[in-house]
This record gives sequence, C-alpha cells and structure tokens, in this order.
Amino acid sequence: MSNEMDRDTGHDYDGIKEFDNPLPGWWLLTFYATIIFAFLYVIHYESGSGNTLKKDLEIALAQIEAVKATAGPAPLESEDKLLEKAKDPQLLAVGAEHFQSKCASCHGNELQGLIGPNLTDNFWIHGKGTITDMVATVRTGIPEKGMPPWEGILKNEEVLAVASFIHSKLGSNPPNPKEPQGTKVE
Amino acid sequence: MMNPMKGANVESLKNNNLVKVVYDDKIVKAFLLATMVFAGIAFLVGVLVAFQLSYWPLNLNMEWFTFGRMRPLHTNAAIFAFAGNAIFAGIYYSTQRLCKTRMFNDTLSWLHFWGWQAIILSAAITLPLGYSQGKEYAELEWPIDIAIAVFWVIFAVNFFGTLLRRREKHIYVALWFYISTIITVAMLHIVNSIEYPVSFLKSYPVWAGVQDAMIQWWYGHNAVAFFLTTPFLGLMYYFIPKAVNRPVYSYRLSIVHFWALIFIYIWAGPHHLLYTALPDWAQTFGMVFSVMLWAPSWGGMINGLLTLRGVWHLLRTDPIIKFFVTAVTFYGMSTFEGPLLSIKSVSHIAHYTDWIIGHVHGGTLGWNGFMVFGMTYFLIPKLWRTEMYSKSLMVSHFWIGFTGIILYYVSMAAAGITQGLMWRAMDGNGNLLYPDFVETVLKIVPLYWVRAIGGTLYLVGFFIMCYNVYKTIQMAPAHQADTEVLVAATEKESHSEPETGHRRLEGLVPTFSVLAFLAVFVGSVLEIYPSLNLKQYIKDEAPVAPYTPLEIAGRDIYIKEGCYTCHSQMIRQLADDVLRFGKPSTISESMYDRPFQWGSKRTGPDLARVGKKYPNLWHYKHMLDPRSVTPKSIMPNYPWLADNTIDFISIRKKVSVMNAMGVPYDEKTIAQADVVAENEAKVIAKDLADQGITQPGLERKEIVALIAYMQALGQKEKKKGDDNGKTVAGSL
Repeated sequence: MSNEMDRDTGHDYDGIKEFDNPLPGWWLLTFYATIIFAFLYVIHYESGSGNTLKKDLEIALAQIEAVKATAGPAPLESEDKLLEKAKDPQLLAVGAEHFQSKCASCHGNELQGLIGPNLTDNFWIHGKGTITDMVATVRTGIPEKGMPPWEGILKNEEVLAVASFIHSKLGSNPPNPKEPQGTKVE
Repeated sequence: MMNPMKGANVESLKNNNLVKVVYDDKIVKAFLLATMVFAGIAFLVGVLVAFQLSYWPLNLNMEWFTFGRMRPLHTNAAIFAFAGNAIFAGIYYSTQRLCKTRMFNDTLSWLHFWGWQAIILSAAITLPLGYSQGKEYAELEWPIDIAIAVFWVIFAVNFFGTLLRRREKHIYVALWFYISTIITVAMLHIVNSIEYPVSFLKSYPVWAGVQDAMIQWWYGHNAVAFFLTTPFLGLMYYFIPKAVNRPVYSYRLSIVHFWALIFIYIWAGPHHLLYTALPDWAQTFGMVFSVMLWAPSWGGMINGLLTLRGVWHLLRTDPIIKFFVTAVTFYGMSTFEGPLLSIKSVSHIAHYTDWIIGHVHGGTLGWNGFMVFGMTYFLIPKLWRTEMYSKSLMVSHFWIGFTGIILYYVSMAAAGITQGLMWRAMDGNGNLLYPDFVETVLKIVPLYWVRAIGGTLYLVGFFIMCYNVYKTIQMAPAHQADTEVLVAATEKESHSEPETGHRRLEGLVPTFSVLAFLAVFVGSVLEIYPSLNLKQYIKDEAPVAPYTPLEIAGRDIYIKEGCYTCHSQMIRQLADDVLRFGKPSTISESMYDRPFQWGSKRTGPDLARVGKKYPNLWHYKHMLDPRSVTPKSIMPNYPWLADNTIDFISIRKKVSVMNAMGVPYDEKTIAQADVVAENEAKVIAKDLADQGITQPGLERKEIVALIAYMQALGQKEKKKGDDNGKTVAGSL
C-alpha cells in the first residue's frame, strides 16, 4: 500500500466518511480495454470490413448446403428390398413410436384417418400405397393440404421406419374408419 | 409526528445554532412492512410458476391461474412491489439522515405510500384476469400506467423538496444514485407507455414492430439498470458503511463509476435483440456498450467490498454483513455475466434459454434480495428501538437462502447451456440433431425441478425472517417515537471556501440533476431516434397485409394469455434458427404489430412462421389439450378458449384505433369490422365442423379467433415472384 492510501476526504454524511483512494489500476485498465475494444469492434463492423449478420447467415447456410450435397439423398432402393427391411420388428417398433408422436394427431391412433386420410384402406390420394410412395410422402409432406415435410426432423432410417409401420397396418380394418379418399388401388 | 418541544429547550437550541429534527420513521416502517408483505407474494408466485414449468398439471386448467398470466404477476410483484417498496423504505430512511431534515412533506409521503400500494393491488387483480399490454415488465394497462406516473412524480417532488431543504451543503453518493433513479425511471416509463386506449382496460402502444422492440428493451433493460441497480447501489453506499462503521473506500471511484454507469447503461438495451431483425448497427452498439459496462459496474462492487477492509471478521460474526457482502458479490457476478451474455456469439447460445432466467435471478435473489434482507435486519431494531429477536435465525435465513440461490442459478445455467447447444447441434449430413423442439424441453425438465426446490428454499428463508421480525416487533417497547436529532441550523452556509470540479457540483442539486438527465438522455435519443422512422427500413409501400379483424381479436387473446412468456416470434439470422423455423423474420413482417411479440424466451418453439403449418383442427386440439398432438408437451391446457365468446363489437373499435395509428384498412372493413370477423370465424368453424368438431356455436368462440391469428403468422408478406420462396435449407 502506498502512502496515498486511505487519505481522508474530510467528508462526513450522517457519520459516513470517505477515503480518497485512487482508482485501482487493474480496474482502470479493464475499463480502457473495453473502450478500445468497443471502438475497434464498431469500426470493424460499421466500416464494412466485418460481415453483416445477413452475410454471415448466407455463408453458414451455404456450408450446410455443401454438406448436404456431399451427403446426398439416401440411395433409392427397390421396393422389394424395402419390403424385406420392413419386416424388421425393431424397425416397426421405432416406426410405431414416431407415428404415435407425430402422425397420429392427424391420421388417428389406429391409422383410421382423422384430419388426414385413412391409411389402412386401399384408397390412395398420393401414390399407390407402396413403401416407396410412403417414404416419399413422409419426406416431402403435402404442404398445401397441411401435412408438413418430415425430412430434417426424421432421419432417413426413421422415415423408413414410419413407412414400414404404415405398410404393416394395411388392411387392418380399424374401428370408425374415415371414408375412402383418392383412387382405389387393387 | 412532531413532538412539541419545551420552550426553554427551543431557546437554548436557537442560541447554539442547533435545531431539533424529527425524522419521519413511520413512513419508513410502513414501506418496510409493505416490502415484506409483497416479498412474500412475489416469492410465492415465483415458486408456483417454477413448479408449473416442472409439472404442467399445476396450471389447474384454470384461466387466471396459468403460467402465462402468473408469470407477469411474479415479475411485476418482484420488481415493483417487493424491490419498489424496499427502495422507498431505504430512500426515505437514508435521505432524511443524509440531508439532516425531515421529508419535505408528510402528506406527499403518505400519498406516495398508499398510491403505490393501490397500484400494486390493481396489478394483482388485473394481471391474473388477463388485462395485459403484452410488454414485459410493462404489462399494466393504461389507467394503471397513468397512476404510476402520477405517484412517481409525487415521490419525486417529495424527494427533491427534501434535497432542497437539506442542512448539508453537499449531497452524498447515495443521493446521486437516487436522483438518477427517479429521473430515468420517469423517462423510461412515460416513453414506453405511450399508448392509444381502446377501452377502459385495453390499449395499443403507438410504437409498432421494431420500434416497439427497440423502445421496450430500452425500457426493459434499464428497468434492471435504474430500478434494480442504481437505487440499490445508493442503498449499498448508505447501509454498508453504516453497518460496518468504516469509511467508503474511494470517493474518486464513486464519481467515475457513477457517471460512467448511468451514461453507458442506457445504451445497452439492444443486447436483448441480438441476431434479430433489428438493424445491425443498433445491435453492435447494444453489444459494445454492454461490454463497456463491466468496469463501471464493478466500480460499485469494489467500493462496496473494499469498504470492509479491516473489518472482514464481521463477515463471520455479523449476519447483516453476511447478507450485504453476499449481495455485493452477486452484483459483481451478475455484472460480469451480463456483458458476457451480450457478446453476440455467447448470446447465440444463451438467448431464449433459461441461462438468461438464471442470470436475472442471480441479480434479483442475490443482489436485490440479500441487500433488502440485510437492510431489513439493520433497520428493524433501529426503527423499533430493540434488538433482533434471534441472531441464529438470521444465520439460518442466510444459509438456507444462499443454498436456494445456488441451486437456482446452477440449474438454470445448466439448463440454458444444454438447451442452447441442443438447438444448434447438427449431424454430419447438414440436419439438426434435435429437430423435435419438445425433445430439448424434456431434457431440461429435471433441472426445472431443481430450480423449483431452490426457489422454495429461498422462500423458506424468507419465512424465517418474517417470524424473526414478527417476534422482534412484538418485543419492542410499547411507546414508539420518531428519531430526534440535533443538527447545526446553518450547516449549509457554513462552508465558504471556494470549491471546484465535482465537489462544487455536489452542492448544486438542480445542476447535478440536469446533468444526470442529460447523461441518460443522449444515449436514448441517439439510439431510439433512427427507429422512429420505419420507412427507412421498409422500402416497399405496403410489403405486408395488415391483420384481418378476426386475427386482431385472436392476437389480443394471444397477448391476454401471455403466450409471449414462452413463445418467441422472431426467427434470428442464425443457421440453426433458420433450419428449425424457416427464413429469418424481417422488419416489415412485424410492422403492424402493436405490441411487438418477438419474445425473450422459448419454453416452447418460435411461432413466427407457424401459420399454415398445421391444419385448423391441429390447433383446436392443441389448445384444448397440447398432449393430444405433441405427446409430453409441458404447455398448459386452454379449455376455456372453447367456452369464452368473442366480443365481436369491440373489434370495430380495435380496427378503427389501429387505422388511426396508420394501419391501412379500407373503409368498409373499418365500418363493419365485426361482420367481417364473424364471416371469417364462420369459415374456420365450418372447416373444424367438416373435420368432426360438432361444438354448437363454435364460430363465436375465442379459440376460432386464436386459430385465425395462428394461421396468419408468417403468412402476411405480399407474394411477388419467387420472393416468398423457401430458404436454401428449406423451411419447417
């Protein structure tokens, strides 16, 4: 402690006195440092040398697009191969779980149809009721009719799981079915 | 109450140039007891909402009991009722003593007291009933806003009147902080509350969209600054030196950190809006001023803590010092964390999460709460002329409360960082790792339980204090009189040596006050003025369509139910936000939003582009029972929306008020807004009926209006060419 420490100012307010100690050096340095940082930061971003938020977002989205391009869409497998996979009980269990949490609110717990069409009969609006068709519909949705695309929320394996689950319920004749919609597929 | 003095004494006093001053202790007692009553309510409601978040059935399917209405009650009670009354108690006690005079006018003191309690009572009634402006910490409707302004001015007159009658030439640093508090809160409240009444308890702010966002967070951030920081620093400067009987560490530091703090604080509001549609420059200024705020804030902490040099042993032995030192330490932590959270890349993780809730409660429970508890334990024995009933109960209060804060803070910081990282996590294929929002909520529900337990401990500690205070007052001598002191009558004139610089200013209250006002006014004008002209950000003549009459009614239900307390409507300019919710929100999309509903917390997902994402039936089922469409959702049920009837006639007035504020409606829509709304409602009700909802009279129920509003979100941009296309990454 230097001699300068604890020099009394002579102030007295209701018995409260004040020392006249200097500003702590580290504190002052911190303050100066933040002010210098502020100037540099503002100059960097307001002069145009730093990216705008919009530009940064475009760069980030372009990188994601690039990753998606290299990852590519899942290779399309033949209907037969998919049918083979669809028998896996583990896959069906995963599909059932996702169906209950994401699809049942519109298609019914028993797939009997509610807001969306009955998925157990042999009438189809989009596609012809093949697993390949179901995978496509789950992925891209039917946005104009209120069905959201699930690609991005469900992983490829999960999309297949849901499609397999729906396929396994074909002809299950649940109670209170919604009236047939679309074209009959024999 | 002035006790009549004996004639002989008066004579001798006059001869010695001494006057007898009787301080008004009754008003301090009244504010202090009101503080305790409302602390109980604020903490109790806080614990309730904490448990509602952990366990949704606690919303009880009751209209006035749901989280969306209880949360504004909690924040308003904590800030304005608990902290407010505590500030007034401390200010009335210390100002009289620092000025060596009684308060300017006893009638004004009591008007202030009862007016403020009436405001709190009206808030406690209107908020659960759903009368809300939908602006955080400024929810109260226009008649109450006017009352707040009136009673604040009464307080100001009383305070400044006292300063002008002071028997000390100079004003002490505590008074500087009180002055800046009173001036700035008045400015913030009045500007943020400029609104256009629709009916007795309904109004729309004149500010719209990005303007409203800018002004609301200028207000909201500085409510923290000038209601929860500067007055408490003033209390710190009075009560800590008093309690430890040591000189303040550095007068020079007081000067520098006071002026730096009030000048810089006012600019920092936009750090609540980082990455939003707010123009980049405002965000940049909000961030750098927040960073520069670190040192001025710590100046207060240093002066508080270093005042204890030489008497640190009191921390072990004196429970009051335990509270004060812990409070100042939490102040230091919060004011370090604040600038940190304002850095854009940190905000990316923390914003909209519970980390912010943790940050705020570190400040309120730790700094404000413990300052008030310390002050209460200091004042109660002095005011009632006795000793505290039990020192060991004070120590128990301290440790239980402290454990509560730690549990609260740690659980919320962990929850916030966990969820913030989950929201942005990507898999190797360019997809979100946790695209299902509810998944990221369920992950942190266990931490909500920990938080609720932490809050309960804090409440238990408070109850211990109540018991202790009750027993103390019970023990107090029956005869209670105000404090009397003898002071030199001419103190004010006795210093005649010339003074320079700041010392001179401390003798000139009007000049000091004007400078303090300028310090907060400059930043306010420079930051807010550019946003007053929306045109410069919105190039097109009419880029978005205004809300239809039914959508306005639905929007008012959204505000009434406090949906903004859990849902944002602002997709930030961040890749993970865009992947999850769609393309970034624009300024023009909210240009007719009065109030703006960008939100500050995502307990549920963002809703800026929820329109047309789900069918009407989905929304119908979701409002009545969220779990029927999103299993495990923690959102409350809103069954009354299907029972309550829309007040169609009021829509006419609403549309004409909107039109008066410049929202373009054609004359027919204005004249027949109720009929237009009824027809819109019929379309939605018919669609629901087609899907099997057979409720009679459905087309007149609130739920239909709310669905209309939900389906309009993100759908109002006028389509031209491919402008409305999806983002590269697609929209969900």
